[in-house]
Amino acid sequence: MRVFIVDDEMLAREELKDLLAEQADIEIVGEFSNGVDCLKALAKLKPEVLFLDIEMPMITGLELASMIDMASAPDIVFVTAYDEFAIQAFEQNAVDYILKPVQRERLQQSLARMRQRSQHQPPAFERLVKEQPLTLIPCHQGQATKLVRLDTFEYAFSDVSGVHLWDGNGQVHSHLTLKVLEDRTPMIRCHRQYLVHPQAIQEIRQEADGNAVILTLSGEQVPVSRRYYKMMRDLFSL
Amino acid sequence: MSPVMILLVSMAQQMSMFLVIAYLLSKTPLFLPLSNISARLPNGMIIYLIFSAFCILASLFGHTVNDAIANTRAVGAVLGGLLGGPLVGMAVGLTGGLHRFTLGGFTDLACAVSTTLEGVLGGMVHLWVRKQGRYESQLFSPKRALIVTFFAELLQMTVILLIARPLDQAWALVQQIALPMLLINSIGAAMFMMMILDRRKLYNKFSSAGSDQALRLTERLVGVLGDRPDEASARRIADIIKEETQVAAVGITNETEVLAFVGLGDDHHWVGESIISEQTLQAIRENRVVFADGITTPYKCSHSNRCPLGSALVVPIRDADNTVIGTVKLYEGKRSLFQGINRSLGEGIGRIITEQMTISQHHQQKQLLAQAELKVARAQVNPHFLFNALNTINAVIKRSPETARSLVSDLSLFLRINLKRNQTVSTLAQELEHANSYLHIEQVRFADRLSIEQTASDELLNLHLPTFTVQPIVENAIKHGTSQLLGDGVVRIYTRVNMGLPQLVIEDNAGRYTPNPQPESEGLGMNIVDTRLKHHFGFDHGLKVECQPDEYTRVIIPLTGEST
Repeated sequence: MRVFIVDDEMLAREELKDLLAEQADIEIVGEFSNGVDCLKALAKLKPEVLFLDIEMPMITGLELASMIDMASAPDIVFVTAYDEFAIQAFEQNAVDYILKPVQRERLQQSLARMRQRSQHQPPAFERLVKEQPLTLIPCHQGQATKLVRLDTFEYAFSDVSGVHLWDGNGQVHSHLTLKVLEDRTPMIRCHRQYLVHPQAIQEIRQEADGNAVILTLSGEQVPVSRRYYKMMRDLFSL
Repeated sequence: MSPVMILLVSMAQQMSMFLVIAYLLSKTPLFLPLSNISARLPNGMIIYLIFSAFCILASLFGHTVNDAIANTRAVGAVLGGLLGGPLVGMAVGLTGGLHRFTLGGFTDLACAVSTTLEGVLGGMVHLWVRKQGRYESQLFSPKRALIVTFFAELLQMTVILLIARPLDQAWALVQQIALPMLLINSIGAAMFMMMILDRRKLYNKFSSAGSDQALRLTERLVGVLGDRPDEASARRIADIIKEETQVAAVGITNETEVLAFVGLGDDHHWVGESIISEQTLQAIRENRVVFADGITTPYKCSHSNRCPLGSALVVPIRDADNTVIGTVKLYEGKRSLFQGINRSLGEGIGRIITEQMTISQHHQQKQLLAQAELKVARAQVNPHFLFNALNTINAVIKRSPETARSLVSDLSLFLRINLKRNQTVSTLAQELEHANSYLHIEQVRFADRLSIEQTASDELLNLHLPTFTVQPIVENAIKHGTSQLLGDGVVRIYTRVNMGLPQLVIEDNAGRYTPNPQPESEGLGMNIVDTRLKHHFGFDHGLKVECQPDEYTRVIIPLTGEST
């Protein structure tokens, strides 16, 4: 199993690495001291299991879990020092959690459970998502990483280099997928590669070929494909 | 001497005698109702009795002139009306008149009618003065009494002329008695009224002396009062009240038994026995002042028939929740009147005691709160910190047993200080030791991401701070500061002197301080520290926070060194 370890304490990572190293079928493909870096690497390295600390800088383990695209979601094991978090609120067999200091037997149990699962089942995050809609988006601009409020963005789009968000002046890069943004924010899909924030729409113009174009508040044009135009007309009762 | 002159002298003698009697009466409590205008029945009753008696005596001692009686009855009837109102006036006039009628003579009917009319006249003037909305003291004007009596006598003369027959005899009589009766009655009424007025003035003066007394009493009581009275403090309170009010006896009870009793009757009112007096039980049950004035409501001692106490005022004492927790009782003897001033004073005493107890309860609760806060601060060993520390030790054991050992000793020190330190004030050195035991652990835990810089001037190390001031601030700097950084965290702890005031500064390089933290975040720790600093050093010496977002948060702790 390909595994990520995400914990802001080096010693905690070392300790967990030591314990996992005793298992023959475990391959640690990534080790991160924060959720933002983990998010960046997810798509590329495609781990099967995430060991997630909960208290971490910028975004917590819980927030990170809610930012992961369910389609490609790995199994998640929260590793935490103190279980005041309502982990029980999650669907029982979708996630697991282990208390620090990690006991070898408890870790083996958890791994055994994951191996037994014949086929990968995406974690059922519905409740988490309902309780914690995404409001802060981790963004990258050059070398800097920051959390930006979703409301500041007019639209999001994907291209070969990844997902980008337009804030009215410029664009930032995000490691969230369009699917995650569509599912967990108020943004709506208007094109296979575009999402738009309803509050940023100034005008929708129909084109001759059945497609349409959205004019945003900042004057940007966002394409609307024929398929999504229909849905948008229903949505806005046009 | 002319007959008119003889009559004048005789009537003056008569009036003098009455005035002497009235003067003597004015020294007794019997006179007190006269100097107070009150609609209450006993008051009117007393006025009626006194002035009816006056009328009857005046008729009896009158000077017989030509089968008629020259007399001073008018004074009684008019004053009765003036002081008691139309009903009392009429009753007095009628009584005096009927009595006069039984004495016979050719003017008997005329005198009966006129005396009744005189009483009614006095009563009408009483009504008129009150209707005018004037102060009731206007009723006590001797001048008005003189004028009213003068007209009342004119009225009487007229009635005699109208009713008494034969007319020529009546006319002869009026010629003889008119002048003396007009003069003597008017002057007599005025003098009588003056006497009542004097008594009233004396009473009021006494009341204003009472407010000085009240102030002194309050001052003395406040010194003694505190919590719920026990037997010792109750005894002191009772002594003070008795001394200041000069009542015959003072008792203090709690809800069930007598805590103190001093004064008249202390031979059978025992401390420690259960309350059995009906008035006291009523005051406790109904949570109100109960007054047995000894006149309309008699006070009867429940212990002994020979008890010399005749009146009692029972004032409930309440606690902060307005539940009765006891009573203060003021007594007077059977032979003395319970003074109105002492009644209001007694009720005031009840309020003072109640208030003092509320204050003292409030004070106690505040102290409890301060203690509770200390407990909270002490108990706030963050479980995250504890388990993360254990996890760190766990990870370090294999790699560096030496580091693990020092971590264990830091953790022990930290926990020991948290659990055991009892004094509310510590030196800066002690506070830094506590913070350092915490910091050493965190530094190993965030080894690659946290650096600590610490400088404290030696000469400041003995200054005092409330215990548990520094560590919670340092914990905040890491928890809400550096640990939220993706990059390296730096915590600086240093002393400095700013405008002559020594300070301890705890600074992180995160700059993530928000003045209004979300309820679930741990701003509570900061608030407690701030409250306790202000509590120890005064309102100006709380925490100060400077924050430059994304650059630094600086928490400044004043080191005044001297606790208030």
